Amino acid sequence: MHSRRLASVTAVLVAGALALAGCAKGGGGGPAEAGGPALGPLENTAVTTIKVGTARDSAGPAPEVPGARTGGTVNMLDRDDFSHLDPGRVYVNYSAAVSALFTRRLTAYRVGDGGTITLVGDLATDPGTTTDGGRTWTFTLKNGLKWQDGTPITSADIRHSFERLFADFVTEGPDYAETWLVPDPKKPFRQQYEGPYHGKHLDSIETPDDRTVIFHLNGPHPDFNFTVAMTGYGAVPKAHDTRQKYDKRPFSSGPYKIVSHVTDKSMDLARNEYWDGTTDPIRHAYPDRFHMEFGLQAQQTTERFLADQGADRQAFTFHNAVAPERVPEVLANPEVMKRSVQGLTPFTSFYTINTSRVTDVNVRRAIVTAWPSRQLQQLQGGEVTVGRLATTVLSPTVLGYRPFDLYGKLKRPQGDPEAARRLLAEAGQPHPTIVYAYNLTPTQERMAVAIKDALGKAGFNVVAKPLATAKYYEAVGQVNNTFDVYWGGWSADWPTGSTTIQPQFDGRVITDGGQNYSHLNLPAINSAIDRADTISDPAAAGRAWAALDRQIMEEAPIVPEHYVTYFGIYGSGLGGVKLDPILGGQSALGIYVK
Amino acid sequence: MTTVPPPPRGPDPFLSVRDLSVRFSTEDGVVRAVDGLSFDVEKGTTLAIVGESGSGKSVTGLALLGLHDPASATLDGRIRLEGRDLLPAPRGTLERLRGDRIAMVFQDSLTALSPFHPVGRQIGEVYRRHRGASRREARERAVEMLDRVGIPGARSRVDDYPHEFSGGMRQRVMIAMALVCDPGLLVADEPTTALDVTVQAQILDLLSDLQRDSGTAIILITHDLGVVAAAAHEVLVMYAGRAAEHGTVGEVLGEPRHPYTWGLLSSTPRLSTPLDLPLSPVRGTPPSLLDPPSGCPFHPRCDYTGLAGPERCRNSRPALSPGGGAGTSATGGRHADACHLAPELKAGLRPRPPAHDRPVDGPLDRPLDRPLDRIEDTA
Amino acid sequence: MIGFLARRLAGALVILAVISVVTFCLFYAAPRDPARAFCSKVCQPETLELIRRNLGMDEPLAVQYWHWLAGIVAGRDLPGFGGCPAPCLGYSFATQEPVFGAIVDRFPVTLSLTVGAAAATLGFGVLLGMVAAWQAGRPLDRIASASSVVGASLQIYFVGPLLAFALVDTFGVLPRPAYVPFTGDPVGWFTHLLLPWAVLSIVFTANYTRMTRAQMVEQLAEDYVRTARAKGMPERVVFFRFAWRGAMIPIVTIFGVDLATLLGGAIITEQTFALHGVGELAIRAVQNSDLPMLLGVTLVGAGAIVALSVVVDVLYAVIDPRVRLG
Repeated sequence: MHSRRLASVTAVLVAGALALAGCAKGGGGGPAEAGGPALGPLENTAVTTIKVGTARDSAGPAPEVPGARTGGTVNMLDRDDFSHLDPGRVYVNYSAAVSALFTRRLTAYRVGDGGTITLVGDLATDPGTTTDGGRTWTFTLKNGLKWQDGTPITSADIRHSFERLFADFVTEGPDYAETWLVPDPKKPFRQQYEGPYHGKHLDSIETPDDRTVIFHLNGPHPDFNFTVAMTGYGAVPKAHDTRQKYDKRPFSSGPYKIVSHVTDKSMDLARNEYWDGTTDPIRHAYPDRFHMEFGLQAQQTTERFLADQGADRQAFTFHNAVAPERVPEVLANPEVMKRSVQGLTPFTSFYTINTSRVTDVNVRRAIVTAWPSRQLQQLQGGEVTVGRLATTVLSPTVLGYRPFDLYGKLKRPQGDPEAARRLLAEAGQPHPTIVYAYNLTPTQERMAVAIKDALGKAGFNVVAKPLATAKYYEAVGQVNNTFDVYWGGWSADWPTGSTTIQPQFDGRVITDGGQNYSHLNLPAINSAIDRADTISDPAAAGRAWAALDRQIMEEAPIVPEHYVTYFGIYGSGLGGVKLDPILGGQSALGIYVK
Repeated sequence: MTTVPPPPRGPDPFLSVRDLSVRFSTEDGVVRAVDGLSFDVEKGTTLAIVGESGSGKSVTGLALLGLHDPASATLDGRIRLEGRDLLPAPRGTLERLRGDRIAMVFQDSLTALSPFHPVGRQIGEVYRRHRGASRREARERAVEMLDRVGIPGARSRVDDYPHEFSGGMRQRVMIAMALVCDPGLLVADEPTTALDVTVQAQILDLLSDLQRDSGTAIILITHDLGVVAAAAHEVLVMYAGRAAEHGTVGEVLGEPRHPYTWGLLSSTPRLSTPLDLPLSPVRGTPPSLLDPPSGCPFHPRCDYTGLAGPERCRNSRPALSPGGGAGTSATGGRHADACHLAPELKAGLRPRPPAHDRPVDGPLDRPLDRPLDRIEDTA
Repeated sequence: MIGFLARRLAGALVILAVISVVTFCLFYAAPRDPARAFCSKVCQPETLELIRRNLGMDEPLAVQYWHWLAGIVAGRDLPGFGGCPAPCLGYSFATQEPVFGAIVDRFPVTLSLTVGAAAATLGFGVLLGMVAAWQAGRPLDRIASASSVVGASLQIYFVGPLLAFALVDTFGVLPRPAYVPFTGDPVGWFTHLLLPWAVLSIVFTANYTRMTRAQMVEQLAEDYVRTARAKGMPERVVFFRFAWRGAMIPIVTIFGVDLATLLGGAIITEQTFALHGVGELAIRAVQNSDLPMLLGVTLVGAGAIVALSVVVDVLYAVIDPRVRLG
């Protein structure tokens, strides 16, 4: 619900707003029920450990799921059809979730027990190697990889998969690799290469033999192996590239192939007999078939999972969460809780403070300190529905994340007006005026009142400025906007600090419609970003990003709001359903019919 | 048009109504719309029931067909048609008699005919219902009837809808529909009121022709004494649900006895009256039937209570009697009225010239198109 | 009759043309850029340009409209996707399929839903109203009138999930609502649509019960009904052949107006039961800023309403011969 529309930052924000609007419907229950008593609070520190795996980690088959059986049909019920299936056009987590069943990438994430995430080779024998700090990356394809027609998956296919991303119809997917594979990263990449359909290859991708692919990037990108784990860089066969039409019927490299797909209605997957489990470290492929139905709202799937009748017993959902109004009922039902999935997603939400207007750091700190985080969380439906209180820029699902709470938000989640007053006094502005812009929805309206109230206690004079939904993001995206605080959301494209911090807090990329909504532009932070970007050791890079996180929060450019959680249920006839912490929904990879 | 002399009366009248009363229960109380009405009608004769609006004449007509809603109307007395009692008859029996032995023609043919069905079908379905005729036979009969009532090109008009006919033609259709089964009794409720004078005459001629051909008994309900003069054999003047005067046309129009009848006559314009002589409508308004006046119901409007004795008029209800005072029996072809005035006084008081100025037959001597109702409304 | 139909058809075309122009203009007047939905997370200006070109949105509005209009008559060639034969209502940005095909594919669902619900609404509404009028003042009348009050206060999105949870999820009395093609399995078509029909019509039936009762009571007091009785017509004939006809005229008139509302109700019903009809397409088209789909669905919806209103007019003339279709 929070994250399906991640095709653009605008969409991220819209989705967040939709989530908020959606919560307004069910979350009216208010603070009393919103706390979610049945869920023990998870320590943010212990949620995930992320590491880069080895060749051994990358070898198949995936470790057996205890008690799993092969065979049967698994049903999937969800709200939307997948917006894209052509890997190059997939950015949204929801489409990525299904793509994992038939699209393999060079690398992928293996989710272990206890919240460990390991980057492993998927098509590649290991998660890639670089010897020059991330400029040159070498991937070797495994033996025995085949397309759904039995032909081998070769390095030429991989090169083609990257080259076709330059074609004019591929506009929706990520464009990190494209930007890094052309000679000049500052110029539009399509002006530097026209794509493979006119017979030209990219000079920067080398295929010395059928199994080796070497990428020559135009700068150091030490987490390029994370980049290529995105579905957007999945494999497309050169011989079966139907270009625009590929989006409708992709060619499978994974354990399943599409046998039928009726837009917005249903999709059926059957086994791809040429897929070899011994090459695959993350996919189990227990069921024989998947049957997917679309058009079901969260309320409908929740009711069907609760009723647990007939074929719905073997049904799960990639993305539909428990409808907010049914959350208390589910939490109180131990039988249903046994078939629930919950945990953190890579999504965070926050209130941006416009640093070009609120220039005094102590005033910004006072805003964070006085912020009524708990009240806002409850207004939006409570922790289980909307997420855990956040205190950092980075999500706990990011490699290197270190928890800290500079402004005592966990101790005083309702806001600390006294401390805020002291900060304002220090700034010499005991009663600053703050313009708070928000999306005009009933929930946000109530939230604005809570904010006004809490900040008012600290001495602020809050001017609440409602904006029409359609205009909101355009308005707050203007560099010279006239607002001081506004809501936003973010999700990392891969779990390292670079995709969160660089686009949002690099002061050299402040433009209209850009992502640096806080307009923070500090030389110290800019150069720290540059340094962290080039550290090739993942653990060291993680430490660097975590340090930057703290450094940024010292400047108080945002009021962190939530580490967004997912809470979903599925049918009693299924086993092996886990949370996918990268995509923030239910994972189909280990699923089996009991 | 010539008036056919009434055939001699047999021992058992064709239609005999005795002591009929119709009461409606309303939210405000019980309305005695008809109260103790008695009359007979013989085959081939026409009885005109005359009175102002609300005098109970239409209610009487509907009562004869059993068309009152049993939920709100209570009927008492006796209605006997061809020796058969109609009043206690079950609904099914009445339904079978209606349209077959008793038929009715209504005033406004535009609203009284179904706008949704072709006239041929509306006529034919009566025939089918009562005679078990086939669709085709019913249609043939409808054409025949349309032809009989004088609709030109009957065969080509049989599938037309009522709104495609003129008012007079539509009234002919109504009559055709009423007579399709050769009923013994036809109740015609203001059949000519909505029509212009020429057409009125044609319709009355038609009714009288048809009566001559088939010997149907007709009850002609009207407020128009001109129509009465032209078409009826007997006249029953109703006031407040009761008979005020009853006799042959010659008796009632020629020697009217009841002051109400006098009033009616003097408010009817005629061509022989000098145009500068003002019409004198009956003064006052018709009584409320919820709470009718005590004694003679006409006494609040009567100019002669002084002569008859105000106490008497106020307290004692005059019976319908040949002498005008005592006696109970009413009809029997004898001129009777319900008034406390002494008969000799009445003879002296009867206004002139109406007495000898009863309208003469013939189209030139028709009353003007001035319904009484309207005149009273302006009074 | 033919003249009447020809005039109505010409009128309908004008209405549809106006609607398409208005939809076109409204779409572009809306404060959002449909191209954004097809742009990457970090949307480069040149990518946005490219998308606009791909979508044909770089051309002037009038030219775009002209292409679209011409496509309906002559078909279009859409680069990358192949031909879009006439009548080409365009190619959906979001679902990547010809709009016409998508609508044709889903039309039977919405048609079944709407026609079935309309029949149920009229059928049950009129029947209940007649019963109530027939039994006026008696217990059956009270029950019918009371249930119509309850029915009128219900909402699709409230009754729908409730009934589905009870009848489908919990007791399994009815199959889960879905569209089974009528031609393949008429019984399945019927049973699977029973619940949506019921839910959609429940809300509307109440109105018709009330109206029919009132109209019948009114008609039964009409002169021509009295005439029918005076002709010796049995009471049930009077009721069903005479009074009924008159009562139907205002009912049909209001029904013509209600059809648009019913279509709106069908959209909600489709959402409630996850039926994949035109209504779902419409909602999705709005969500996706999918102009061609939006245009197509709007036109088909408007066309349906116009067509149904012609049917109502014809029906009207059939019921009331005073109305002439000249």
